[in-house]
Amino acid sequence: MKRFIFAFTAAFIFIFLWGWFYNGVLLKDVFSEVQSLFRPREEMMGLFHWIVIGQAGLALAFVMIYASGFAGGGIAAGVRLGIMLEILAVGARCAIYATQPFPAKFLVLISVGASSR
Amino acid sequence: MDWKKFFIAFVAAFGFLFLFGFIWYGMLMHGAHQEVPTLLRSKPDFPWLIFGHIVMAFFLTLLCAKFVPAGGAGGCAKLGILVALIYAGADLITFAVQPLTTKILCGWIVGDLVQFAIAGAIIGAIYKSSSPVAR
Repeated sequence: MKRFIFAFTAAFIFIFLWGWFYNGVLLKDVFSEVQSLFRPREEMMGLFHWIVIGQAGLALAFVMIYASGFAGGGIAAGVRLGIMLEILAVGARCAIYATQPFPAKFLVLISVGASSR
Repeated sequence: MDWKKFFIAFVAAFGFLFLFGFIWYGMLMHGAHQEVPTLLRSKPDFPWLIFGHIVMAFFLTLLCAKFVPAGGAGGCAKLGILVALIYAGADLITFAVQPLTTKILCGWIVGDLVQFAIAGAIIGAIYKSSSPVAR
């Protein structure tokens, strides 16, 4: 349980920092190209807690999946799980692209960032 | 890995994911989606929608086949729920950054949970029924 909490905390901090750096700093200009599909910045800040809760939920589910079937495999198994879950998420992004007017470049860049994560 | 069973489970998962998605997101949530018309394409781009569902079904099947040691519908449904919780986390983040309504957010989360739990159960029932534990 102690290791689970430690792994969850580490995963959450990394997902949060990487999300902020990649989406908030590196992709800032790309996001501004499709600003009409997003909330205004002030409104987004007012809902910031949902970003934190969402990332915590994501980290928790990831660690739970790892603990339930991958734990014996060490770092390599964690990386393999991350890759498989990310490809699953790329599938979901294809569905998002099919239904929302995002440019393909935007979703490709988002997927690149998430794969690195 | 039993590739024949894997393929049957993958096709069944794809069929279910696509059909459920069409009924839940495309029909039952149609009204809720109409509240944010600027966020959605007037008509879905079906080749990408189908391709996305194929990718999701394939990797969900792969996850279930390789990493549910106990096997069976129950174990894979549990894995499906955990995968859905990852999507639910992403839905919450999307809600914070895109002007979605809470009705859409709740609909997406419930849809993810039901969709992946049942898809996992279908995969588990087909793939694990008599095959040995695959690691």
